[in-house]
Order: sequence, then C-alpha cells, then structure tokens
Amino acid sequence: MTQKNDIRWLPGFNWVTLFFFLFLYLPLIILVVFSFNASRSATVWSGFSLEWYVKAFANDDIQRATKNSLIIAVFATVFATTMATMAALALSRNRAVKNKSLFGGVLILPLMVPEIVTAVATLTFFSAIGLSLGLGNIIIAHSVFCIPFAYLPIRARLDGMDESLEAAARDLYSNKWDTLRLITLPLLMPGILSGAMLAFIISLDDFIITLMVAEAGSTTLPIYIYSLVRVGITPEVNAISTVLLGVSVLIVTAAYLVEKKK
Amino acid sequence: MTSAIGLSGLQKTYPGAPPVRALRNADLAINDNEFFTLLGPSGCGKTTLLRLMAGFEVPTGGKLTLFGEDIAHLPPEKRPINTVFQHYSLFPHMTVLENVAFGLKRLHKSDAEAKQVAQQMLDLVHLADFGDRKPGQLSGGQQQRVALARALAPQPRVLLLDEPLSALDLKLRQSMRAELKRLQRETGITFVFVTHDQEEALAMSDRIAVMSQGEIQQVGDPATIYEFPENRFVAEFIGDADFFEAEVLGGTEYKLSNGALLTGPRTEAAIGSQVTLFFRPEKAELKQSGSGLPGQVSEILYLGNSTDYVVDLAQGGALTVRSENHKDGTALADVGADVVVEIDPAAVRVVTT
Repeated sequence: MTQKNDIRWLPGFNWVTLFFFLFLYLPLIILVVFSFNASRSATVWSGFSLEWYVKAFANDDIQRATKNSLIIAVFATVFATTMATMAALALSRNRAVKNKSLFGGVLILPLMVPEIVTAVATLTFFSAIGLSLGLGNIIIAHSVFCIPFAYLPIRARLDGMDESLEAAARDLYSNKWDTLRLITLPLLMPGILSGAMLAFIISLDDFIITLMVAEAGSTTLPIYIYSLVRVGITPEVNAISTVLLGVSVLIVTAAYLVEKKK
Repeated sequence: MTSAIGLSGLQKTYPGAPPVRALRNADLAINDNEFFTLLGPSGCGKTTLLRLMAGFEVPTGGKLTLFGEDIAHLPPEKRPINTVFQHYSLFPHMTVLENVAFGLKRLHKSDAEAKQVAQQMLDLVHLADFGDRKPGQLSGGQQQRVALARALAPQPRVLLLDEPLSALDLKLRQSMRAELKRLQRETGITFVFVTHDQEEALAMSDRIAVMSQGEIQQVGDPATIYEFPENRFVAEFIGDADFFEAEVLGGTEYKLSNGALLTGPRTEAAIGSQVTLFFRPEKAELKQSGSGLPGQVSEILYLGNSTDYVVDLAQGGALTVRSENHKDGTALADVGADVVVEIDPAAVRVVTT
C-alpha cells in the first residue's frame, strides 16, 4: 500500500482514533479507577484503597450470587458445547444429513432473536410445563442460548480442517469412532475450547433471560449487581464489576489465542 | 493367476440432474507386483476409480476384487490397501514417527513393533533422523516421503498414489520418480498410480490405462501406448502427433485431404473409405530436397534437446516436425526456408476417431 492511500496519513487521523477509543473505553476506565477509591464517592477521587474489594469478597450475598453464576455457567457451557460440537460434526461431515444450510441457519437464528423475546418465551414455556428446578431452570435456558455461540467457532474450525485427514485415518485401518477420537476431536479441540469459553462468558454475563427465569434463591451476579445499583452506586459495585470485567477479558483473550493457535 | 485388483463392469454414477457417470463399465486387471498407472485429463474418472479402490466411494454397479475377493462394499479400514494422498494429509498433531506408526497401531501391533517398523520405513525413505519432528517442520518433498512411509508401513497388498508428485517442483518431481520406482521394486507391492502427466506415466509404469470421460480407452505398456495408440484420444493425449484425414487408395497408399499422396501401413479399411493417419513429429525428417511433402517453415520452437519446426505444406495444411539440432548447435532450417518433409511409411499409423 502506498503512503497516499494509507488512511493513517489523512489529516486528523490520530485525533479521531483517540476520540474513538476514549468513547469506547472511558466509561470502563472510570469504573475501574473508582473501584480503588478510598471514599464512598463514585465520582470524587480521594486516594487509593483496596477496601471495596475486601468488602465485596466478604459479602455473603455476593459470594452466593457468584457461586450460582459459576455453577450455571459451567453446566450451561458443558451442555451447549457438547450439543454444538455434535451439530457441527453432523452438518459438516455427515453425508446423510440433508438440507445442511437450512439446519445451520436455524441453529444460529437465536442470535438474531431479540433477547427479551427469548426471555419471555422461555419464562412462558417453563411455567406452561410447570418446570421448577431452581438453578436447573436457568441452566436449561442458558444452555439453549449458548449453543449458537459455541457452534460458530467449532464449525469454522471444522470447515477449515482438511477432510482428507479423516480419509487418511480411515485408510489406515481406523473405524469411524477411532477416527473421531484420534484425528477429528484432537484437531478440533482449539475450536471446541474457544466455543466453550465464549459460551461461558455469555452465560456468566447474561441478565435479561436470567432475570425472567430466576426463582427466589437463584440470584446470579449480574442480577445482584443490578439490585445494588438500584439502591445507589457504591465503589463496591465498581469492584465486583471490575473483577467480572477482568475474568471476561481473560477468557476472551484465551479463546482468541487458542483459536489462533494451529 | 488372480490379479491384484480386478474390475468388471465397474460403474460409479453420482445422482443429479443429469446424473454424472464418473465411471462407466470399467473392465481391468491389475497384476500383482506391478507399477500400474491410471492416466487421463482431469474429470476422466481416474480419481473416482482410485477412490473406489480405496473404499471412499461405493460403486453403483459391477464388481471390484482384490486378489479374487470381492471388496466393493468393504469400508476403507477393512481393505489391505493404503493411499498416498495428493496433499500428503499427514496428521499435524502427531510426530513423523507417530504418523508412520499410525496404521500399524490400528492393526493392533504392539507399541514396540509399530515403532520399530515405522523406523525401518523412515530409513527406507531416507528420513531416519526426522521421526521426532512434526510434519509442519518438513519441506514438501520430505512430507511426501513421510506420506509414502506411512502408507507402506502396514504392508498393504496394494498401494494407491493420488497424483503424489503434482505439488512438488520439477527437479524434486524427477528424483521422486526414480525413488517411487525403487520403492515399488524393493517392497514388491502393487502400485496404482494416478496422474495426468503423460511423461510421468511413460517413465515409471509397467503398464498404463489411459482414461477419458469415465471410460478406459487403452491398456498397455508405455511403448505400446505411445507407438500404437488405438484411438485418436490416446494418440493426442500421449505425446505430440500430426494428424491427417485421408482416403484409402488400396495397398499401402493414401490420399491426404490436401491432395498429397502418402505411403503408410497396410489397412483393413475398404478402398475409398476415410481414415485418420498420424505420426509422431520426431519420426518425420526435414530435408532440403527430395521426395516427400514440400512446404515452408513458418515457425520454430526451440526446446533445448530438440527443435519443433512448423511447416506450412505447399498443398495446404500444416504439420510439425521435431528434430535434433546439428551437432554444432545450429538449426536445421530458418523460418521461411523451403523444405521437404519425409515421412517413413513405418512411422505412419491408422487410428479410429
């Protein structure tokens, strides 16, 4: 590319870029900064302190909500990733499956359905069939909407994999199961891990659907944070949010690195 | 003697509108310990036939036998046949040694035995010290050898090779030809080699089957295929050829479509009927004068070890003569020179179209 065509050489490029990133990240930076504030104020800086982190970690309600969130996220991730892997294998490798693109489309359609609609539909459905499993309800709901998120990276990885590798394994005396176990799954693992991490984050962060289907005692972290905010913003909320943010960034980064690795 | 691989009326039709007849009624017997080549342009059905032999496709009709045993419906893992894939298809998450030992382990050989045989195979392809590397760390030529070792390690009855040299550069390709011949001789395994490169086929094969449009056109040893092609497709696909439409005058005399007379082989065709004659360009001679077809050199293509002279015939039409250069390196004739093309009657062939 010549210098002339490179947008980096357009006048004002640096300022526009700076403004863009501030616009994206300034709220998050302020949130993180004030989680270390010494006073109760969420807007006036008065010194560095880890007090709010200590308080947040000692809070029984937060501990309970975090535990719920993690249980839900782990189970939903395992279910969703398993389903997504099977769906990807069927749609990418099984010659007997007809209408592959139709099924593939239907599978990722939930990504485009407004979340509030899914939430209301799930709530209505659960009460219609009288399902009341406590955390189980939320796990089922999360498993369902996490499937497309887990499916996409797995399918992408599978489509990028040379099918002749599986043919070579069959040719070298492996039956279908051994081929899946020894060749397909090991090579697919980065996609599966990346899909699983994505599902985990989506489940951990979910608010609307959880709010609808959560029964008493099934409060998750995002819902607890919301209830705190309604009382008034304290640096304690900032502290929990910062931890949640840190976990998300960590997992998404790991997912990215795993997927990039050959 | 039962053949290593036998086809009788073997068919493969892919459904569709219209259905694709990738292989039509193929009959073929490949002998044990033979270097056999399936040769043809892309889409001729050679790869389909290879995939049928390997078990990746199921025939829609006919019989497929391995040493007399019907294998048409056996899955690939039940056939003592291994394949060298076009793009090698080495398992990237395993070391070279693990790749080569893979088939042996699947056949329930002990770890020690699998490793030992795999190491012998790596010795055989001159990669003894590469066992611990991953395939991604090897060059294309080395990956090719690993693929060979991997396919040979379980000692298959038949080895299938799907255009294994096409991804290599010219020099490497030429050395691998000799290497493949050596491996076939040393292992005594029947090789079925698929290629679209006629030079490769002629250089390596014991016998060649030339294929076109899902049908086997001719089966024979390289010299027979080159010297006595049975139809125009084979004559055109293998090497270069000059073709003439001609009328049979009786005996060994033919009248070319441009009116010139030519002496050729005796033919069964009736006097007055139309036939196609051809000869190889290196079998015609370019003379300054004499008896033959007079013409003028219109183009010269220098090939290094020889030169192609395109001659516009005085009576119409054109033909190509391939000739070695003079010992001192000078050309036989320049563009525009008047020449006579002499064709030995023994070099002329009659083919069906």
